Amino acid sequence: MNTPREQPGGVISRLMAELAKLPGIGPKSAERLTHHLLAARREEVLVLADALRALKEQIRRCELCCAPTEHVRCELCADTRRDPSIICVVEQPRDLTALQRAGGYRGRYHVLHGCLSPLDGIGPEHLTIDALLDRVRAGGVQEVIMATNPTTEGDGTALYLSSLLSPLGVRVTRLARGLPSGSVLEFANNQMLADALEGRRSF
Amino acid sequence: MATEKVKALVLRTTDWSETSRIATLFSRERGKLRGLAKGGRRLKSSFDNGLDLLTLCDMVLIRKTTGGLDLLTEAVVVRRFPRLHRELSALYAGYYVAELLADWTEELDPHPALFDEALEALEDLGDGSVGQRVLRFETRLLAELGYAPVIDWCSSCEGPLSAQALAFCAEAGGVLCPRCQAGPGERRRLSTEALGGMRALASEKWREPLADRVRAELRGVMGGIITHIRGKPPKLLPYLGG
Ligand SMILES: [Zn+2]
Ligand SMILES: [Zn+2]
Repeated sequence: MNTPREQPGGVISRLMAELAKLPGIGPKSAERLTHHLLAARREEVLVLADALRALKEQIRRCELCCAPTEHVRCELCADTRRDPSIICVVEQPRDLTALQRAGGYRGRYHVLHGCLSPLDGIGPEHLTIDALLDRVRAGGVQEVIMATNPTTEGDGTALYLSSLLSPLGVRVTRLARGLPSGSVLEFANNQMLADALEGRRSF
Repeated sequence: MATEKVKALVLRTTDWSETSRIATLFSRERGKLRGLAKGGRRLKSSFDNGLDLLTLCDMVLIRKTTGGLDLLTEAVVVRRFPRLHRELSALYAGYYVAELLADWTEELDPHPALFDEALEALEDLGDGSVGQRVLRFETRLLAELGYAPVIDWCSSCEGPLSAQALAFCAEAGGVLCPRCQAGPGERRRLSTEALGGMRALASEKWREPLADRVRAELRGVMGGIITHIRGKPPKLLPYLGG
């Protein structure tokens, strides 16, 4: 992985090693990208560096729904026209985006930032479950829609959440079975998502 | 670069890129295998959502001849285990089965009997005592992999086991009679009912319900055996109920 003149741990090797950690980037691609950046104009590379820094320094989690935002509250939570009595729980911000794209839903969201995956060591403490329970305990919530992926782990996460939410006296529903089992929300089309939300059923 | 068809259980998946994932599978014909599924996360793909954990799939794969990962080109679900999606304790037990299979079997080392037992266990979980079903699976797993504990005589002196003051010792590989219980290694008191339970679990009478107390005792014994042999406790062990 090292270029001939570079020592391991040098600036170039370090960038290659970092790039190679990204999904879908192997050592070969990391090397190619590094050489591309090495040859690119200074301003071009610094714009990329600034964007990367801003991503982590300026984006935080919405204090209510935990979606990424530049503000204390995200646009959706700040929008008073949205119904605060319904919360739609998704695994990832990209699932929220897919449901928003599908249109039709006028409630609020909650982003878990993952799903329970005991085999990978991901337990409740790694997700935003406490924040969700706090929202429900604060009152005013009537329905929580489980829009986790219809996969084994997504269903497991929904089962677990349901066991915590039901005793709080809130109605827990699940997306309709229109989505094929094992699929993921972010790749479903708008009509499928809209139908799944429309046809949701009690857990 | 010939393609091959296998029926396999999905034990583990890791996202590899935007659309691809790596799957760890357990097949009847080839034992454990790992494959890269390009496009395995897309909704409409040749995977037909077939790379979901704990589903049985018909897979098509291209074997890598020079080491590395096999390439998965197709996966179609042939069987799901719906009870795992309805009861959390059943699901965690299912994850535990997957963890033991993934960690404890080697690639290119088929165990058809273990494969069949795993499918039966996944089918049964959620119907009756999850705890007892898991104990039966563990008993069969240990036997199939050559780690069956000695339960018919003393694992140290090979003398007969009387009804009193027995102990179980994972290091010794089985039950110890009262005369052999001194010495190093962790000993766990073993009730005669629990010894009877271990024998039943290894026999055709394994479905006869065990008392809660006996099941809890055996949960500890079995966890101890598996932790000792593997050198570390399975991740899912704390998730298992009695
Ligand atoms: Zn928000
Ligand atoms: Zn003895």
